[in-house]
Amino acid sequence: MATTAQPDDMPMRPNIPRAGVQLPGVKDYEQVDREIGRTLNPTKAWFGGLTLAVICMLIGLTAVTYQVHQGLGVAGYEPPVMWGVYIITFVFWIGIGHAGTLISAILYLFRAGFRTTVYRVSEAMTVFAVMTAGLFPILHTGRPWKAFWLIPYPNWRLIWSNFKSPLVWDVFAISTYLTVSTTFLYMGLIPDIASLRDRETNPVRKKILGVLSLGWRNSEREWRHFGRMYLFLAAFSTPLVLSVHSVVSFDFAMALVPGWHTTIFAPYFVAGAIFSGFAMVWTIAIPMRKWFNLKHYITLNQLDATAKVVLMTSMIVGSAYLIEFFIAWYGAVPAEQEYFYNRVFGQWWWAAWIMLTCNMILPLSLFSQQLRRNTTWLFILSLFINLGMWFERFVIVVPGLSHEFEPWQWSSYTPTIVDLSILLGSFGWFFMWFLLFVKQLPIMAISEIKEIIPPKMKHASAGGHH
Amino acid sequence: MTSIANTGDKPAVKRREFLKVLGASTAAGAAAACGDKPEKLLPYLVSPDHTVPGVSTYYATTCRECASGCGIIVETRDGRAIKAEGNPDHPVNRGALCARGQSSLQGLYNPDRYRGPMLRDGGELKPVSWDQALQTLATRLGEVRSRNQAGNAVFINQHEQGSFPAFLDQWLAAHGMPAHLSYDAEAPLATMSANREAYGVAWPSLDFTEARVVVSIGADFLDGWGHSVPQQLSWADARAKLTDAPRAVYIGARRSLTGLNSDQWIAAKPGSELQVVRALLGAVGRGGGVSIEAAAQAAGVTAESITSLANELRAAGSHALVIAGTTGPDARAVALAAAEINKALGAVGTTVKTADALLAYERINTTAQVREAVERMNAGNVPIAFFRGANIAHTLAKQTNVAAALGKVAFKVSFTSVKDETSELCDLILPDHHSLESWGDAEPMRGVLSLVQPTMDPVFTTRATADVLIAVAKANPATASRYGFSDYRAWISSRISGGDTGLTSALPRGLTNGSALAGAVPTARLAASASQAIGGTGEYTLQVYFSPTLGDGRGANKPWLQELPDPVTKVLWQTVVEMHGETAKALGVAQGEHVTVRTAAGELTAPAYIYIGIRPDTIAIAAGRGHAGYGRYAAGCGSDAYQLLGITENEAGGWALTQQKATVTKASALSRIVTTEGSARQHDRGIARAMSVGVLLGTEEEHDGEHHAFTGDASHEFLPGLRSPVAGDAQGDLVDPKSKDQGLYDPAHPLGLAKRRWAMTIDLARCTGCSACVTACYAENNIPTVGAPWQGPVVMADRTGFGANITRSREMAWIRLERYFEIDREPKDVAFDASFDTRFVPMMCQHCGNAPCEPVCPVFATYHAPDGLNVQVYNRCVGTRYCSNNCPYKVRYFNWFGYGEHDRAQYAFPEPLHWQLNPDVTVRGKGVMEKCTFCVQRIREAEHHAKLEGREIQGDEFTTACAQACPSRAIIFGDAASDAWTVARAAQDRRAYHVFEELNTFTAVAYLKKVNHPAARA
Repeated sequence: MATTAQPDDMPMRPNIPRAGVQLPGVKDYEQVDREIGRTLNPTKAWFGGLTLAVICMLIGLTAVTYQVHQGLGVAGYEPPVMWGVYIITFVFWIGIGHAGTLISAILYLFRAGFRTTVYRVSEAMTVFAVMTAGLFPILHTGRPWKAFWLIPYPNWRLIWSNFKSPLVWDVFAISTYLTVSTTFLYMGLIPDIASLRDRETNPVRKKILGVLSLGWRNSEREWRHFGRMYLFLAAFSTPLVLSVHSVVSFDFAMALVPGWHTTIFAPYFVAGAIFSGFAMVWTIAIPMRKWFNLKHYITLNQLDATAKVVLMTSMIVGSAYLIEFFIAWYGAVPAEQEYFYNRVFGQWWWAAWIMLTCNMILPLSLFSQQLRRNTTWLFILSLFINLGMWFERFVIVVPGLSHEFEPWQWSSYTPTIVDLSILLGSFGWFFMWFLLFVKQLPIMAISEIKEIIPPKMKHASAGGHH
Repeated sequence: MTSIANTGDKPAVKRREFLKVLGASTAAGAAAACGDKPEKLLPYLVSPDHTVPGVSTYYATTCRECASGCGIIVETRDGRAIKAEGNPDHPVNRGALCARGQSSLQGLYNPDRYRGPMLRDGGELKPVSWDQALQTLATRLGEVRSRNQAGNAVFINQHEQGSFPAFLDQWLAAHGMPAHLSYDAEAPLATMSANREAYGVAWPSLDFTEARVVVSIGADFLDGWGHSVPQQLSWADARAKLTDAPRAVYIGARRSLTGLNSDQWIAAKPGSELQVVRALLGAVGRGGGVSIEAAAQAAGVTAESITSLANELRAAGSHALVIAGTTGPDARAVALAAAEINKALGAVGTTVKTADALLAYERINTTAQVREAVERMNAGNVPIAFFRGANIAHTLAKQTNVAAALGKVAFKVSFTSVKDETSELCDLILPDHHSLESWGDAEPMRGVLSLVQPTMDPVFTTRATADVLIAVAKANPATASRYGFSDYRAWISSRISGGDTGLTSALPRGLTNGSALAGAVPTARLAASASQAIGGTGEYTLQVYFSPTLGDGRGANKPWLQELPDPVTKVLWQTVVEMHGETAKALGVAQGEHVTVRTAAGELTAPAYIYIGIRPDTIAIAAGRGHAGYGRYAAGCGSDAYQLLGITENEAGGWALTQQKATVTKASALSRIVTTEGSARQHDRGIARAMSVGVLLGTEEEHDGEHHAFTGDASHEFLPGLRSPVAGDAQGDLVDPKSKDQGLYDPAHPLGLAKRRWAMTIDLARCTGCSACVTACYAENNIPTVGAPWQGPVVMADRTGFGANITRSREMAWIRLERYFEIDREPKDVAFDASFDTRFVPMMCQHCGNAPCEPVCPVFATYHAPDGLNVQVYNRCVGTRYCSNNCPYKVRYFNWFGYGEHDRAQYAFPEPLHWQLNPDVTVRGKGVMEKCTFCVQRIREAEHHAKLEGREIQGDEFTTACAQACPSRAIIFGDAASDAWTVARAAQDRRAYHVFEELNTFTAVAYLKKVNHPAARA
């Protein structure tokens, strides 16, 4: 990774990470304001994309309505495969939602400068991914209109939710994560909203931005408070990154289904989530830097750095796969052994090999620096990883349930058009929000970028005094 | 109607308890009223005697679903029959009841019954009034008589016992018509004819408990052949004996349910049975004329297997039992030779009890006689024809061309109450009452009169045929004098000792002494109409057999029976061509690919099904499906195996079902096999375990090689799940730490919450896999059937049609019968080998002490009740289905559609089938999980009774529906924490084990290992 060239005597704001990144193509504050501000102007392509997303979402919505009316039988469930595409997609989106907080919070604490220009995108991605994911546990229930019973609320029946159930833990984990990541996103946006407010000419928008910016005046005191708050939220979010997906993994690990009941699930899920989250960041950021002409903001150096994270998490995930096989063999539980055999060489070989190829084998290409800096390859790889990570969840959920203790009840699973429409709808829903976001609020943290570039001095001698 | 009234003095009910019960029932009533729409509750204006709202009334009557004449007790609630159970006092079935008997309720409430009389008008059947219908009948009868053609009339009645046949013949004679034909396609005429010749009775009772060796030659005596309930009862009692239990050998080309329950299968070629049985006859000392070698050669089996069987028979002597029920053209000769073996060994009197003969088939006519009648119709010689229950347009349609024959009969009258193929061809429909709405009687055994009484008011505007006949006779001055009695009931009571009083006093038990068999007509012995050999050409022999669930097809309109998997193939809602894996390989077909079967008589295309228990040179197809009409559940479901058969009859005039060679070719289509089977083998999971009788008797070392010890295998001491470590945990902090051993189940528990541990034992040595328990559970617990096409997932093009939901494993049976073959590879890859073992396991919710489903439910919809039950609260269920994922036994079932919601296409109980619904059990809506409750409604009812009577529940006071019905008495239910219950002792059996004990689920169900009887080592 490119190393920092910040002169030591540069004035630093407290608690802003030392930006280990260079943006040589960004010269001054005006350029930042101009170029980032330009991304907010709607284009025809954007309208096209939004229309497509809304259409996909409506297809999904139609399928959901049909399913709620008819019953879950219209989906492809084949008992004992009682969970299917919805739970797979739920875990998939939760996983996507992980990279955002990791980038914005953990990398912030670690002072990893390459996060600066991608963290806003990934944070927004997190919020929308969690918003998407949160729908699935509800619409996967048999009686979604009763799903609020999972929330412990005071009621005259004196019945609470069952705190032993991992599904109740999910409710807490996801709602907490959504709240905190939304807050974190909003917190980081305040200075940028203020700067948008100052440039806004439309009085209505100006009013709204004014309210949203909470009266930010760019004072020293505000910055000090902001920095403290940001640090606090980053510290607060950090354990959540680890805990949320651990809790999601408990949905499986706490059950005694062969192939689910393993202690490795929590770290394995977290690594997988970061892996898939970074891939999704690529899927979004690489086209974005091209279409929005932001290549000099999201530099190859930064992508190279993220590629190293992806490579590492891929290897963690890969070794987790291998450890699973080892433990199945070493544990000598016949049901578990047969399940793993069936997963890789039996009924579900194709799904397992999609997973192994996409998640374990293809990312090994990132050992090559050339490929790490080849945005086309990274984009293609990101699609493969997204696919592979969806299939990872498929391979966990479906083969486990289809091949349990009781051979008489072994079965198969084929999603129906309803399942697939809802899956498509989830992408429509996610991208609808995302596309709306990119044209309303800056996709890069203007204030933080400005901290990287040399400030404009009254006396045009760089490195001078205040 | 006379109910089994409780004549004992009512114990005083305390005021406080009365108020409690009142409050509880008011609350229950209020809760029940909380439906989607307000419904009107119409109370009786004047309540009938003995009817208390919400309290059942029971009527003893006789089952009429087959000829056997089992006694049943019908539970009625507020005037509607809701459950049929065996009558414990009845000598035939001793309280047990098969699936078909229980399904009589779905015949009663069948939505496709005739709602009233119909008359053909302009080519269409149109509803008419009874007056008009009777007038039409009288006019037509008058015309026939005036033309002097009455002597050519034909009346074909579904064969039944009792005095109605005699009554009918009297009426026919009074109108100058010949005696009726009593037809039952399923009756094993060849065996009966041989029995008459050999033993002097048509059906001696078979006493398996006296037998040491049982040899069945093609007789599926555990499942539909003969009188399966009494046969099963005796078989199970025999096999459950520790010492001197019989070893069973099955001879036949296809291993039927009896074959699977036998210890040895001699897979004789179809058509070779006669030589085998004659060789055995020769070996026991009567000149059979066939050497063992020749027989073995003909049968395609080893000579040793026949020699050792002959030795076993000789060694057993009078304790041998040879039963023959083959379906080839030589069936009578086979049965006769088998009977000769029994006689030669002196078994008559020990295992073959002629004194206790069953009389079900007395006065039956042969298929040949019915065929002749149809031929007369075809010749245009029959002026008027009557049908009652006999559906010849399905069973004999192709061979005798029934449709054309009926077209030549000027006037056809049907008394059948359902729209079967025959009545749809008739001109006048005078729908009979269902047997549960009728008066009648039966004489299943000499001197035992089993009464038939109405259990409820008729569902539709039907009339009992006997009463119709009386009305017609009374209206005619020529016959009126002979019909002085008011109705059929009066006629019956006049024939019973004590008259009307005698009848009334006998009805509560359903039994009295006497005889209904007035002037039995001996069955005519007919010359065989065809050769004694299997005809046609082709590589394979076709064996058609009556479906154990649907019989000759009469069960096809009952969704319970359609949804009951065949005990052997586990196929439902579908007709398949059974073939061995080797055959399938030779034909190049995989399971589910269609094959076309061609015989000299016809052809049929159906999916191939691979069954390891059939000879590679034989294919088998179950008859019973493929109806053209017969209601919404039957029409179009499966294919009609009868099409493949010609008119080949055995010497007894019975129709040969194994009569044709067939060619089989691959067809282009592919279907999913509609089956409940996942994997056909256990994969060493130790679910269905067996032990050899030698181990049990201590003459052999136990080497339980089949169930590998799992890591963490819990020890035997946990039986029967009383000492679950978390038993106390169900009540959280309330549990007393001092009663750690039994936790909540400690009788001295300070809270007194849990005094019981409801538990169950299932004896696999008794269980035959007949699946009567499955239907009992459907009936008791309002379980929806889901296999009809309109209940399926319409968005999946490949999964529509009959059984669409089942192909997605969405059957709802709370108790299922798993059938595992002990083979080491998939059935399609198994080379033919007759020596495989089969295990049957009834699997239902195990009511774990440490239930995996409970902690994962986020809303406490499933939780642990203080009496050890694992409870499912439908109203609380959100439908996450996590409980099912976590259940190792996979006994939880989800309502994928609104099967219980009457305004939906998928509704499982179309009017009036919903009248059968048990009011004590919730009908589940869509989106909730359900499972076996151990019949919690029965537990609570018993508790309430005990409380009202101021006592504790007695041991064995009640039982679950499955245990009640079980014809092999394999299931015992009760309180394992109290020695007063049989189950507490049964669970101590050394054969007891828990399924998946290693998962520490501490189940409440203990299985007792199956006992195998290997051949004695030479």
